[in-house]
Amino acid sequence: MKTLKYALPICALLLTGTMLFALTTTRYLHVRVNNPVTHEIVRVNVPLSLAEKIIPAINKGELHDGKVHIGKFKTDDVNLPQILEALKTAPEGEFVTVQQKDNNVRVAKEHGMLVVHVVDQRSKENVDVTIPWEVAQALSSDVNDNQLNIEAGIRALENAGDVTLVSVVGKNENVRIWVDSSSSAD
Amino acid sequence: MILLAKIGVGLMGTAVVGGAMLCSEGFMTIKVHEKRANGTNISLILPAAIVPATLAVIPNNHLAQASEQLQPYMPLFDAALPALEECPDGVLVEVADPHEHVLIRKDGGSVDLDVNDSDEIVHVSIPLRAALSTLHEIAANGQI
Repeated sequence: MKTLKYALPICALLLTGTMLFALTTTRYLHVRVNNPVTHEIVRVNVPLSLAEKIIPAINKGELHDGKVHIGKFKTDDVNLPQILEALKTAPEGEFVTVQQKDNNVRVAKEHGMLVVHVVDQRSKENVDVTIPWEVAQALSSDVNDNQLNIEAGIRALENAGDVTLVSVVGKNENVRIWVDSSSSAD
Repeated sequence: MILLAKIGVGLMGTAVVGGAMLCSEGFMTIKVHEKRANGTNISLILPAAIVPATLAVIPNNHLAQASEQLQPYMPLFDAALPALEECPDGVLVEVADPHEHVLIRKDGGSVDLDVNDSDEIVHVSIPLRAALSTLHEIAANGQI
């Protein structure tokens, strides 16, 4: 009983400390581009909190008020957020598979995430895109046709776990974009 | 004698306040080291507050073009630089190839730029607060 009397406050203190640490941990968006031929490496580490404040301040080109205009992507008569919600609750598995002479495309739900895998036979390039559902939903929230809500997407990424969002493996260039709590890229 | 002491205290007070004002925005560091034999070595440490103060005395017409180009981006700088100041220290951008290494990192209240190539080593450190007031000074000075 005496041990419990001392253990409880210590446990509470540890728990509070862990919670505070979790709350204050800065999340980073990392981009790494490397060229195995020229041995050139580019690393970019952006705190998500910084991106969240900068994105709404950019009002130029296709980006306005934290939303980006994405060409001719029309969603007339299609409720994109509703579709994403339906897909979120759908069981895991492959949704779309396209196999052509030059490229293969696969869209699936894996480990609660939207996964797009493209293999381009001509350029010998593999592209993997992984988007947590919360982020996909945030991207399509509060938008008109042809728009993606980047600001909301970044906010959702803050709460998503560590994840590789984009991976491109090619003959001349490898690209990786990911999110984690480390201030430096690998 | 008392009058002299009063003048001395006044002068010292002015110097202290002036010095504090000059240092209030931190220090700007510029270092250039040329790798060739007898190459230039420059090392400058300047109070960052002198940059906006200097810009204030430059005639407006000399800054008009810079001001015009800068003004549309001022909301972006106003959002980005204070937000960057709040971020933890770390490397923001790194570019490396066999001949060149470029590093941009946030260190305390400053942004550091380091370039190391086959010819020279350059280090520039700019306090974020001073950078923002400099940009504001340029943007405002060009307005006639």
